[in-house]
Amino acid sequence: MKWLALMLVFGLVAAACGSSSETTEAPADTEAPAATEAPAATEAPAATEAPTDTEAMMDIATDFGVDLDAGVIRVGMLSDLTGPFGPLVSAILAGTQAYWDGVNAAGGVNGLQVELVVRDTVYVIDNHIAFYEEIKDDVVALGHSTGSPHTVAINPQLQADGMLAIPLTWYSGWSDPAINANLLSHGTPYCVEAHNTLGYITTEALPDSTTIAIASVPGDYGQDSAQGAKLAAEAAGLEVVYDGEGAIIPTDETTLTAVADGIVDSGADIVWVATTPSTMSSIYGQALAQGFEAVWSGPSPSFSPAFVAPDSAIKDAFTRDFIGGTYTSLWSDDATSALGEQLAEAGLPPSDYYFEGVVEAQIMHAALLKAYENGDMTRAGVLAAGKSLDNVDFGGIAPSEAYAGDAADRLQRQGTVYKPDPDGLAAGTSGGTVSLATNYTSDLAANFDFTGACYTLGG
Amino acid sequence: MRGRPNLFTSYESDQAMLNTTTKKVILFTLLAFLVLLPFTGGGGPGNVRLFDWTIPGFGWLAAESWLQLMGTVCIFGIAALGLNLLTGLAGQVSLGHAFFMGIGAYTAAWLGAAEGPLLGMGMPIWIWLPAAGLVAAGVGVLVGPTAVRVRGLYLAIVTLGLVFIGEYFFRNWRTLTGGSQAGRDFPRLQVRFWKEEAALIDTTADGSWLTTNGKGFLFLLFLLVVFALLAKNIQRTRTGRAFQAIRDRDVAAEIMGVNEFRYKLLAFGLSSFYAGVAGALLAAYFGRTIPERWDLFLSVQLIAILLIGGAGTTSGAILGSAFVIMLPRFVQNGTEWLKGQIAEGGIIATIADPIIATSNTDFGLINTLPGTGPGLSVLQLNQVLYGLLIILFLIFEPFGLYGIWLRIRNYWKGWPFTY
Repeated sequence: MKWLALMLVFGLVAAACGSSSETTEAPADTEAPAATEAPAATEAPAATEAPTDTEAMMDIATDFGVDLDAGVIRVGMLSDLTGPFGPLVSAILAGTQAYWDGVNAAGGVNGLQVELVVRDTVYVIDNHIAFYEEIKDDVVALGHSTGSPHTVAINPQLQADGMLAIPLTWYSGWSDPAINANLLSHGTPYCVEAHNTLGYITTEALPDSTTIAIASVPGDYGQDSAQGAKLAAEAAGLEVVYDGEGAIIPTDETTLTAVADGIVDSGADIVWVATTPSTMSSIYGQALAQGFEAVWSGPSPSFSPAFVAPDSAIKDAFTRDFIGGTYTSLWSDDATSALGEQLAEAGLPPSDYYFEGVVEAQIMHAALLKAYENGDMTRAGVLAAGKSLDNVDFGGIAPSEAYAGDAADRLQRQGTVYKPDPDGLAAGTSGGTVSLATNYTSDLAANFDFTGACYTLGG
Repeated sequence: MRGRPNLFTSYESDQAMLNTTTKKVILFTLLAFLVLLPFTGGGGPGNVRLFDWTIPGFGWLAAESWLQLMGTVCIFGIAALGLNLLTGLAGQVSLGHAFFMGIGAYTAAWLGAAEGPLLGMGMPIWIWLPAAGLVAAGVGVLVGPTAVRVRGLYLAIVTLGLVFIGEYFFRNWRTLTGGSQAGRDFPRLQVRFWKEEAALIDTTADGSWLTTNGKGFLFLLFLLVVFALLAKNIQRTRTGRAFQAIRDRDVAAEIMGVNEFRYKLLAFGLSSFYAGVAGALLAAYFGRTIPERWDLFLSVQLIAILLIGGAGTTSGAILGSAFVIMLPRFVQNGTEWLKGQIAEGGIIATIADPIIATSNTDFGLINTLPGTGPGLSVLQLNQVLYGLLIILFLIFEPFGLYGIWLRIRNYWKGWPFTY
């Protein structure tokens, strides 16, 4: 039994070694398949100027996460890599990493290399808070913070620390100036997105539709989207014949059957479902099995390219029925082709989700450049710089964003409307989607009188 | 009897909580160390700590994130102490601990959270914290009678059901819980006399000697010590012995005159009280929680704490919490250290290379790279480790970490005559 004690001692020693290296950051990963090319022209705010002179650098104020001597900027990422949105966020993060690899290979941000400090929160709020606490003094800003309740949970701390964060959620409540003091939200909020996509369907795809069925998961994402769909239905004169807002419980199979039955019984022309990919395929499959036919639609997280993969049972029917909305251009769009080549070279398979990561990285890039220009790369400096950006252009990957000025004025209403593309997916030329309209704003979305969050997160 | 260790001449000294000098020395050194820790390690930018020096060898432990982690350990310690009363002492296997923690958390929210769109009365902590325990205990007493009828695996299934019933209620009672995946704010750990007064103790803002996390940790450490003393004392009383008699053989216990119904009810009540308090503290410590927080995984985590720490012992419950809660951080830091070694090259790199994937084309057991590559993430690895550790401890060391400590202690006690 002595060996057990020995093992314990060995374990403790090993653990102590691990922890003492806490502050020793791993150097930039040389094995990573860094894109050796200069960033493509589409990567908008890339500034690959001549190496900076040390004189100018010394004038720059820094506190956390920026080390001018080592030439490093550290950016934190609170990601859900193994939780419910794991596959999605992993791809987003891969896009972010590929973008920074490109920037770093081309000389970095004015000579400073950007390193990501990634933590997997598994979409658990406690982890989110604990990891924030762990990395906050190592990073200058958060490149993304996954999940609305999670981001709300660290928000007081963000404000106390003067830390900038990019929320990886499209909750419509981010428009509230009291909430977004430290946040750079981007893309069309779920609620407006529902207006946009349904606007496209009611004018372009199915103009004679009269009824709609709505179903969603509970929480900020599902219910914000469902509320948007209801408002849009009212504005478009659609009758809501089935209301399953918050009725889909991913862990409870019976709710999926109930929702599918409700949709079928309603006989709706249009079905709006805001849920997770696995539950979407189950609900759609059950409705299809009952011979139900309609135009199905939903926000980006409802769709997965796996639905139209060559071995998918619902491939043909889903391709026929589905029209989706998303925030960025697609892999199959011309606007992303240069970037797509670069990603493919890094060994990444076609997917639309990388571009969200690239957009996040571009916002951060613009904020860092501006902070450098201002000579203040402290946390507060980067926050101020980010909040003063009056035009972040993504080179066609996504509609441009502005953060200076009044939050309500700069509500993003543009998005991409797409349909599934099984052939492109099989051939490796698309991420399983092809766009119907890019940088599109439907009349429904343009005329939507947005006065505040469509769904309020409990106080 | 000076100079004669382990010779107890009275029942009192034999049953004393700290019946040997070694125990006293170890406990008080540890406590002194833990109390001192958050005051040290100042000097950094914007730091408010009292001392600029650090305790040699333990400077890293005084870091903000470690203090926060140790605060979490204290809360799980209280929860585990409660489960230990029920499962470790009275032998009633319960998977429902997360449910009682949830009850405590939402009682705290109802009474303590600020008035707003969701239920909240803005009461101070000295009302909501005991109330959280009492309400949970009340529910525990209601559930208790089932334990008289069913035992063992069947009781585990009954209590398992509680977790799912609870989750259903928590998800759907939107005015109280904020609803599924949305959650609500909870009262913070602030001590005040009445509602609107300035807080006497405020663990949500830096003080002049301590940081936020330092204050939170000390506050929770104090509560842990109080609850540990309480648990240890319950164990030493007639009640504790009755629990153990029921655990060892309930029929025999009843024949000896132990009122099985009464004591099983009491065990459930006491354990739920601990759970309620721990749940309220957990929610208050992090400030925001969704109804899905009180799920089966939390119950399993607590069972793991007991089994790894050593069921039936007070120190085992606390040791287990420290181990289970801090393990992920150690694993993560270890992985990052290895990743750094691989980048540098050398002998450790050769060993570590097959274990760790550093790019999405590199194979490795652990994947440190975000993206689509193969391998387990650090947190998935942790879940595997929990499972592995439970199995290993059950097979090789049923008394858990406490058992290992006993072995080490006994080895040195008899040294050099260890046979």
